[in-house]
Amino acid sequence: MKAVKKIFKHWEMFLLVFLVLEFVIFGAVNPKFLRPQSIMNSIVNYISVCIIALFVTLVMITGGIDIQAASIIGLTSIIQGYLWSDLGLNIWTSVLLAIVVAAICGGLSGFFIAYCGVQPMVVTLGGSFLYSGLALLVSGMSATPAYQGISGFPAKTDDGAFVDYRFLGKGELLGVPMPIVIYLVLIVLCIWLLHRTKYGERLYLIGVNQQAAEYSGINTRLVIMSTYVLSAVSAALAGTILTSNVNSAKYNLGSGYTLAIITAVVLGGTLNTGGKGSILGTVLASLIICILRYGLPLCFDVSTQNLDLPVGIILVLVVLGREIAGRGMIAKAVRAFKKSAAA
Amino acid sequence: MSEAVNERSGVLMSIRGVTKAFGSNVVLKGINMDVKTGEVIALIGGNGAGKSTLMKIIMGIYDLDEGEIFMAGQPVKLGKPSASLAQGIYLVPQEPMLFPNMTVLENVLMGFNENEAELKKRLQKHMEELGFTLNLQRKASTLSIAEQQLVEILRGLMREARLLILDEPTSALTFGEVQSLFKVVEDLKRKGISMIYITHRLTEVFEIATDVAIMRDGLITLSGPVQDFTKEMLIQGLLPTDVEVSESGHRAYRPVDYKNTKPVLKVRNFSGYGFSDISFDLYPGEILGVAGVVGAGRTEMISTIFGRDKTLGGTVTLDGKDITGLSTKRILQEGINFVPEDRHYHGLFKIRSISSNTTSALLNSRELGKVDMNRRHQREISQQYADKFRTKIVSLEDLIGSLSGGNQQKVVISRALSTRPKVVILDEPTRGIDAAARSDVYGIIRQLKEEGVAVLMVSSDIEEVVELADRAITIFQGRINGEFSHDEISQDALTSASFGIGHERVVAK
Amino acid sequence: MSKVKGLFKARWMSSLIFLLLLFLITGVAEPDFLSYSNIISCFNTATMYTLLAIGIAFVIMTGEIDVSIGSTLGLSAAMTGLIAKQDGSIGVMLLAVVATGAVIGLINGVGVAYFGVPSLIFTLGTNSVVRGMIYILSDGRTVENFGGSLASYGNLTLFAEITLYYALAVLLVAVAHIVLTKTRKGKYFIAVGDNAGGANLVGISVTGTKLLAYVLCGVFAGLGGFVFASKYGQVMTVAGNGYEMTAIAACVLGGISLSGGLGNMVGAAIGAVIMSSISRLLVFIGLPSTYDNTITGIMLIVIVVIDALTQRRSIEMARRKRLLSRTAETAAEGECQA
Repeated sequence: MKAVKKIFKHWEMFLLVFLVLEFVIFGAVNPKFLRPQSIMNSIVNYISVCIIALFVTLVMITGGIDIQAASIIGLTSIIQGYLWSDLGLNIWTSVLLAIVVAAICGGLSGFFIAYCGVQPMVVTLGGSFLYSGLALLVSGMSATPAYQGISGFPAKTDDGAFVDYRFLGKGELLGVPMPIVIYLVLIVLCIWLLHRTKYGERLYLIGVNQQAAEYSGINTRLVIMSTYVLSAVSAALAGTILTSNVNSAKYNLGSGYTLAIITAVVLGGTLNTGGKGSILGTVLASLIICILRYGLPLCFDVSTQNLDLPVGIILVLVVLGREIAGRGMIAKAVRAFKKSAAA
Repeated sequence: MSEAVNERSGVLMSIRGVTKAFGSNVVLKGINMDVKTGEVIALIGGNGAGKSTLMKIIMGIYDLDEGEIFMAGQPVKLGKPSASLAQGIYLVPQEPMLFPNMTVLENVLMGFNENEAELKKRLQKHMEELGFTLNLQRKASTLSIAEQQLVEILRGLMREARLLILDEPTSALTFGEVQSLFKVVEDLKRKGISMIYITHRLTEVFEIATDVAIMRDGLITLSGPVQDFTKEMLIQGLLPTDVEVSESGHRAYRPVDYKNTKPVLKVRNFSGYGFSDISFDLYPGEILGVAGVVGAGRTEMISTIFGRDKTLGGTVTLDGKDITGLSTKRILQEGINFVPEDRHYHGLFKIRSISSNTTSALLNSRELGKVDMNRRHQREISQQYADKFRTKIVSLEDLIGSLSGGNQQKVVISRALSTRPKVVILDEPTRGIDAAARSDVYGIIRQLKEEGVAVLMVSSDIEEVVELADRAITIFQGRINGEFSHDEISQDALTSASFGIGHERVVAK
Repeated sequence: MSKVKGLFKARWMSSLIFLLLLFLITGVAEPDFLSYSNIISCFNTATMYTLLAIGIAFVIMTGEIDVSIGSTLGLSAAMTGLIAKQDGSIGVMLLAVVATGAVIGLINGVGVAYFGVPSLIFTLGTNSVVRGMIYILSDGRTVENFGGSLASYGNLTLFAEITLYYALAVLLVAVAHIVLTKTRKGKYFIAVGDNAGGANLVGISVTGTKLLAYVLCGVFAGLGGFVFASKYGQVMTVAGNGYEMTAIAACVLGGISLSGGLGNMVGAAIGAVIMSSISRLLVFIGLPSTYDNTITGIMLIVIVVIDALTQRRSIEMARRKRLLSRTAETAAEGECQA
């Protein structure tokens, strides 16, 4: 039992070692791998998953799940594009409105989950259809054909610098790409929220035992609903950064990210039954996946199309290993106890 | 004729030296028991005596640690429900384990390998013999508890069960339903089916049992044919052998000054789901015991006060303020806190630290900070209670799941006190904890009294009420049927009233 | 009479009524829709979803989930294509897809039922692995230019415009339905999902039942892959991506509870038809097919919310009635004594 606890306690340590190993191995095989610019680019390419996984961690700690966040990326993107390009609103007003819409979407799903008692998986499955559908509808209202995507966002100066809206996705701060800067800020925010505030404490308590949380006077429904709002807002942020980065507002941006987000959270050690998990774990797991996706093609000639396979193998092995380790230890403890009882 | 007698006296099942422990908690300490053919053994004992564990071992849900079980003289290896079923053993659990979305027929026939038409015929036969009338096409989720139990019994009969275990079958039944269940038990007895009948109701023992066995602390302390016993002897058998503890308790007794204090909590004509027309007062510095059997409506009553269910009528006032029907969050703020009966389901955050568990009820107050969590203060509070209650802990950051039951309970009680309530409601405060922890918990409760906190204590453990309470009420079938001043409290009086005997006695004022 | 009443109470019945209403409303808006061939083609296009839905229904009924079926379908489709390219027989193709599905299902089952890994997480992992195997198998290229007899079966109609594949799918639905409702072991799936503890108590192997459910689910996804290859004549590496969500949605629409223990195969099949005909319906109503996902999403959410609320209400009512009856009895007694 103790050994298991140790593994769990040091799960982040395990992930860190894994991440370092990736750097060592990839770096040894191909020194090009270690170019900071490329590494940062690989993270920027995966930034939506990284950001959303942070907040889906909060959802899963309460014992829920969110498979709609990915569809909100596209919805936010296209709403921004539409408001700005077709209705001629200021770009920042458009961004703000898109985030508000996302919050409403998250709140709606959260309400059904928390107050009507519908399974999170089902509601967010419905949500993923609904919000991706709405994105397509918004796209249809725009003058720009859906497949093209709305582009021409402000602004790139003549000397090639990105300012205004496009600074978010393409700009740099002290040589660090803005998406990564925002990611860092969000990491700090989430660590504070989950590990340092009373709100975070409530999340854990609800995830461990919602009934007992109710007996402690915690308004569990409101808290649960709030996590879905937060994850939707994070998806809106991710959608904004992505749109700014690729200079194209499209309804289907990020549509394939659902399973990747869940994978990052689970690999990070968050219990899907709730009550356990950490932001650091999710961050490390997201980076492990990022680096794997970047390093394997570069160093081992794995096709860029086929990066799901290694990630999948790692996920399966890790969850199996965790389960087997847990069981083995329990069985051992039982046997040891029987022996001592017999003696 | 003589052969039939032999059959009757034949031992169906023998249990020899069975022990069982969960972790460090030894629940069964060497059980010996014989069940003869056609016998109805009433198994009685307090909560945590190990009755349910023993039954689950017989049913193969748990494996035994040591000891042997024989069926008709042959040693058998149980440990899997299918093995026990093959031996003709069937457990009718306290909470029936039916498939709620299936029909009665599907429920009864589930798991059989014979031809369905044959099975139906047999089922029809069994139902006729016992005079059951039950629509086989009804969904199990629409059945009353009594009907669900009939379905469970039918399941057992269909399996040609030789031994039926009935685990507190009457705890959720109404009077009429109990009578029809007894008729079924009589019929089964006549058919030569052996039964182990677990109950808390002593009158039932004399009504239907042929034999009695009393369990205490994981041992069978007393057993024999029912005619050798009287109700008083059974009560005596349930009492602890060492009565010193309770005497010392009485010595330390300090009476409540009822004349010069005003009640802090007034409950008037309070009705809700499972209880009706409850009225009582609770004074500061008083321990009011609420006795009664499981299912009498006590837990429903107090959890409704605590805002967990809907109030149907009446009022609850705290210090003159009407708090009827407020949410749990508000009730906590007004100054009531609660130690729930089911520690695992309503009390513990198993995979959280001891300090998280201690302070979870403080999250709505400013005490732990406004937005940021003041971890240091959280630890201080937790440490303070751990010291005060002598909770055995290594580190405050350890998971509460790693503690023993008694220490877990101390943490849950700490939480209830952390909000500094005027009224503390305790529901079965010592359920499932060992003797040492129990006396510590008693110490805590007495200390609360000293500090002027009003304590409302629900307990099925009559000794506990006798030992601690300044006053006691008994609840029987959802209503108060007895009120006892400190001098009137006795094991006899409370037990009788709890079991509904002598409730014609005029309620003491 | 009570049988008829029971029929209308059945959850799949409300799905069927829902489907008919959808058809009727569309018919009112655009009478052309109600032509025979139009309605039949609604059913024909549901073939793949039908197979996936009844497969995953086994798993969902036991209270678990399987999100790897989209990839399983893709892998089986790619295999079928590759075998066809080498002029393999239909028999070999079927053998290959069934074996593939069974193996993937077995792996899922062992992980979930035996090792106790949460099903969503485990099948999420196998989903990625299987998807990766499609790339390896097809060398990252679309499998195409396989023709011959395989393609000719794709749109082969048997009678009255019903395609061969849909007829076979309906046959499988019927078999699965009979197995689930009429056979002894078939009832175990529902029993395990309804009350795993209770199932264990009457001697049903919970592990074995879940394992079998996953294997069946994999096999049905494999068959779906065969149909995919035959119908489309080309298999991209992303074939079947996202189909798992559609299949789950079909089950939910068909009245199968995601908490297990409730629902049946007919419902799943009807749900599949609803899911696959929505875009066609929209076209007839005059909305572009871009409304497809929006309508699906709204439908899903509304249905599950109503379902959850009514279920919760009935449970709560039963509890309250039970508690009230306890005190009611004593009141009556008391009055008698008085």
